[in-house]
Amino acid sequence: MNIVVLLAIAAGLIALRFLKPNSLAWSSATWVAVYVFLRYGVVPPVPASVLTMFMFIITLSLAVYLTTTEDRLKEVSNAFVSFFTDKKYTIPLVVALIGLPFIVAFRVYQNLTQLPDPPVVGRTIHPPPPATITFKGRQVDLVDEDNPYRELETSDPTAFAEHVSNGRLVYYQNCVKCHGDNMVGDGLFARGFNPIPANFQDPTTIAMLQESYLFWRIAKGAPGLPVESTPWSSAMPAWETFLSEEDIWDVILFMYDFTDQRPRAKEVHE
Amino acid sequence: MKSSLKIFGFVIVVLAFYSYVGNTVPQKITYPPESADLSADMTPDELAIAGADIVAGKGTCLGCHTVGSRDSGLRFPDLGGIATKASTRIAGMSALEYLAHSLYEPNEFIVDGFLAGMPAINRPPIGLTDDEIKAVIAYLQSLGGTPSVTLATDVGYVTEVSAIAPAPSGGATLGAGLDGPGVFTTYLCNTCHSIDSPDPLVGPSLFDVGSRLSKAEIYEAVMEPDATLAEGFPGGVMLTTLNALGFYQKVSPEELRALVNYLADQQGN
Amino acid sequence: MPETRLRKLFNPWKSSSVNERPWEPTELRPRNRHPFRLCYLPICAAILLAVAIVGILALPAGASPQEALQDAANPDYRPFPIVGSRVAMWVVAQLHLMFAAFVLAVPMFALIIEIIGYVTKDKRYDDLAYEFTKLLSVSFSFTATLGAMLTFMLFILYPRVATYMVSIFSWTFFPYVFLFFLEALFLYSYYYGWGKFSPKVHLALGVCLNIVGTAIMFIADAWLTFMNTPNGISETGALVSLPDAINNFIWMPINIHRLIANMAFGGSIAAAYGAYKFLGAKTEEEKAHYDWMGYIGNFIAISALLPLPFAGYYLGKEIYAYSQSLGITLMGGTFSWLFIIQAILIGNLFLAANYYLWVSMERIEGAERFRRFIKYLLASVTITFIVWATPHSLVATVEEARQMGGAHHPMLGVLGVMSAKNTAVNVMILTTYISFLLYRRGNKEAIVPWAKTGNRVQFAIFAVTILFVIFLGVYGYFVEARVRIALSVPQVLAVLTAMISVTAIDIFMFKNAKKTGEIKWGQMPDRAQYALFFIALTFAWTMGLMGYVRAGMRQHWHVFGVLQDTSPDAFTPTLGFASNVISVTVLIFFLFISIVFWLSGLSGKKPWEPKAVDAVRSAESVGTERAVEAPE
Repeated sequence: MNIVVLLAIAAGLIALRFLKPNSLAWSSATWVAVYVFLRYGVVPPVPASVLTMFMFIITLSLAVYLTTTEDRLKEVSNAFVSFFTDKKYTIPLVVALIGLPFIVAFRVYQNLTQLPDPPVVGRTIHPPPPATITFKGRQVDLVDEDNPYRELETSDPTAFAEHVSNGRLVYYQNCVKCHGDNMVGDGLFARGFNPIPANFQDPTTIAMLQESYLFWRIAKGAPGLPVESTPWSSAMPAWETFLSEEDIWDVILFMYDFTDQRPRAKEVHE
Repeated sequence: MKSSLKIFGFVIVVLAFYSYVGNTVPQKITYPPESADLSADMTPDELAIAGADIVAGKGTCLGCHTVGSRDSGLRFPDLGGIATKASTRIAGMSALEYLAHSLYEPNEFIVDGFLAGMPAINRPPIGLTDDEIKAVIAYLQSLGGTPSVTLATDVGYVTEVSAIAPAPSGGATLGAGLDGPGVFTTYLCNTCHSIDSPDPLVGPSLFDVGSRLSKAEIYEAVMEPDATLAEGFPGGVMLTTLNALGFYQKVSPEELRALVNYLADQQGN
Repeated sequence: MPETRLRKLFNPWKSSSVNERPWEPTELRPRNRHPFRLCYLPICAAILLAVAIVGILALPAGASPQEALQDAANPDYRPFPIVGSRVAMWVVAQLHLMFAAFVLAVPMFALIIEIIGYVTKDKRYDDLAYEFTKLLSVSFSFTATLGAMLTFMLFILYPRVATYMVSIFSWTFFPYVFLFFLEALFLYSYYYGWGKFSPKVHLALGVCLNIVGTAIMFIADAWLTFMNTPNGISETGALVSLPDAINNFIWMPINIHRLIANMAFGGSIAAAYGAYKFLGAKTEEEKAHYDWMGYIGNFIAISALLPLPFAGYYLGKEIYAYSQSLGITLMGGTFSWLFIIQAILIGNLFLAANYYLWVSMERIEGAERFRRFIKYLLASVTITFIVWATPHSLVATVEEARQMGGAHHPMLGVLGVMSAKNTAVNVMILTTYISFLLYRRGNKEAIVPWAKTGNRVQFAIFAVTILFVIFLGVYGYFVEARVRIALSVPQVLAVLTAMISVTAIDIFMFKNAKKTGEIKWGQMPDRAQYALFFIALTFAWTMGLMGYVRAGMRQHWHVFGVLQDTSPDAFTPTLGFASNVISVTVLIFFLFISIVFWLSGLSGKKPWEPKAVDAVRSAESVGTERAVEAPE
């Protein structure tokens, strides 16, 4: 939800109160307020199809509101009648009568010139990993195996720091071009890709994954993605051809170290 | 009369409006399920791909199950990584046994926190054939593991065909008037004999068999494999395999003829 | 190429094999090893046999004249010109159902109104009941005609289905026909005997009419529910137990659901009749009468609508209990968007019902006090309407989907699930109930000493119920499915308890209450009458839609899981197509019902006289349509 828009709407409505508008103006203002809120106030934006339906319901209930009591109905109909008959409204009336067909025509034009959309393909961003993968002929158990150098963090901090600095080297030699200097996925090449490279600073990426999952993704890259994640729509190379097993584990250590995050703990099977 | 016309106009407007509402929602025609094309020569990986189609289509599995969803509060177990979970679910049951069991007798083992209610997949209304269920199992094995099932695998269940409900035919059924390549793949010849390259597999390559042997010789080699052995290949293997597949019982004379003609056409190149 | 040793073998491709070697049986090859010429025989025989079988199956006419005759006499399906068999059956069945619903519902509330008239000795009620009953006789004939048409079409267009259904339910058709006789007997004696019997005898006739009508519906329900959730049959589809086949999973839920829905539908049609007469009325008296009639009809419709969602839950629960996959097809799969349309329809119904009540308060002296609440009630209805109509999976363009990061919107996704929708519908029902309560109090003021306490207690009950309902709705997000599904039960119970207890308090509190003004019947704006039409149309359309989904959820089965649909119409059409069929059906129904209205108006018409130019049209001709509509 966008707080700024919300506050602006509230301020607008409160300001309108002081003008003491009639029911019609008040209802129109409510309509616009709801529209602005749904269109700009909600993040991510409400899809157009749903927005249309919501606005239809709002329109209906405002129509109900305006016609429930005789007084209010009269207020509305008088406003319309005076708009059509009063001398002082001649210019707005002419503008409206000429403008409305143009607006409709413009909408038709817009609809007709719209480029066709490709169908939406649902893509699983974090597909479930296989139980085992083959890394350079060795069977790697993704369920039970863990980063072999993670334990050094407590048992041998100096050795751990070495691994991390090796990871730094690996990262800046290979990964930085896409994933960027600060690991937010804005490297030099990032703009050319869809989907864009992962942002490791985002708490919903590496922080919620296990290290073995990262190992799988780095080693196998886009070609190793399962069907539900539509292989080839990601540009991630399969690094197993370029990096050693140790390099990969090291760069994983560095990624967590740099972003100040912890890998997701292994689930304990009872 | 004027009010009647007004009412009539109002009725038309309201009905037109509801028709409009009905036409704005996604429009989809649902056709009766079609049987998948499964053939006995499919590798487990190919079977898994066919299985994915069945899971999404005829099997209607995705109406309830998700694959790899991380939403909380799912109504049915998620199938992401099922191959890994299946092996540990019930003590003494392999992943394959568990998957087959869950499809044929779904309400015996219920995952904690979920309700029983899945229908037996081999019975109507879903009524997958045994072969289709094998494809589904292959697909499930591919979720977090490696598929190992082929149509020849025994999963421990056989469905008897019900008399009144016309069981949907399971694609390439055996003995159903196959053509030459059909016979060749249905009876798994291609797992041992390569047909489009000269490199031999388990048995000799049939890449250029048409130029090497006459039709009569091919016929003999099929019907009595051990009568004449190609050099360097052991005897008895083909006869045993074909007997196990029931080839001699099932193959019809036309099919046999088609097979021989097909093989005789393999002239190399 | 390696040297091969060729053993001489009997081989169709080898010309000289006859003399070479006699045939030797080998256990490995029991079938395919034959002497040369003989080996063609089984092949030829097999080919002939195969051709014969294929010929019989595929080309019945080509087999033998006798078989051809037999097959032409027993096809699985027969085509219907232009619209096709399915649409023809669909429209006729739906029209039959709508008329049947009307014919079953009117005696129910006519009887209730008659009883009210009998107890209160108020002649108005008796007249009203008679006026409703007048609509019955023509409708009854229409229902029976459409029913006969439906049966003929079933046997002509879908002989295989009809044969199978008859094989299961053969014994239920005789009591059905017998009951139809009784229905005619009671209906006409109830109608023609109005005022001709002692009131008690007449009331007894009305009771008998309702019992017979309900029994007829129960029997017919057995047939159609069996097609959805077949029961009492063996795996091959043969009948095992007729009682089980009748009492299948959704038989009782459908009975209850239809009983209530018929009341709602019949009430709304009766209200539309009142509105129709009101709009054509010339005198104040007529206006007052038909305003009141419309109000009563609408009151019946909305009272029956309030418990309807609960009956719907029961029905849905039993569908799930029968087959999870049937339930999912219904709610989550192919038909999930249908329930968005349904939400819009029901939302419209509630909105229109509330609107009618609010506009009605205009004609009550003293009801101005409650006008300021309308705004909040409207807000409540609108918000719950929006929540209820929010789809779970959204239609989004690529750009929108990319921004949402998938097909689910983080905010709308929360609203699109069952927890939110159950909560919304419960709050919506409560709001409508509050609207009615305010309407009821319009011209009354409680004078009992505990009036203030009573109001506070009522308010507390509402507050607690709404909070409880919302709490359960929110709680539903944090528990697993098994618990969540069960949560709708306490929600429903809380709302029902609140409505019953508040009504009880209200009845005692407003006993002998002080009247602050009169209800000025007839002083209704026309737009309120159009709201009644809108309600009737929406009810009819909802009925068409739900009828479609009840039949449609079987998808490619005639009898679910037993008898497969192999006709060209086995596919499930788009919702847009279904909507168009429903709209046309409803239009036909309203044309038919306007004929019924017109016919029932004839009885009150003055006898025809030549040269009745200056005939004075009396104002007493209540219910005469020509007099009302003739141009001055």
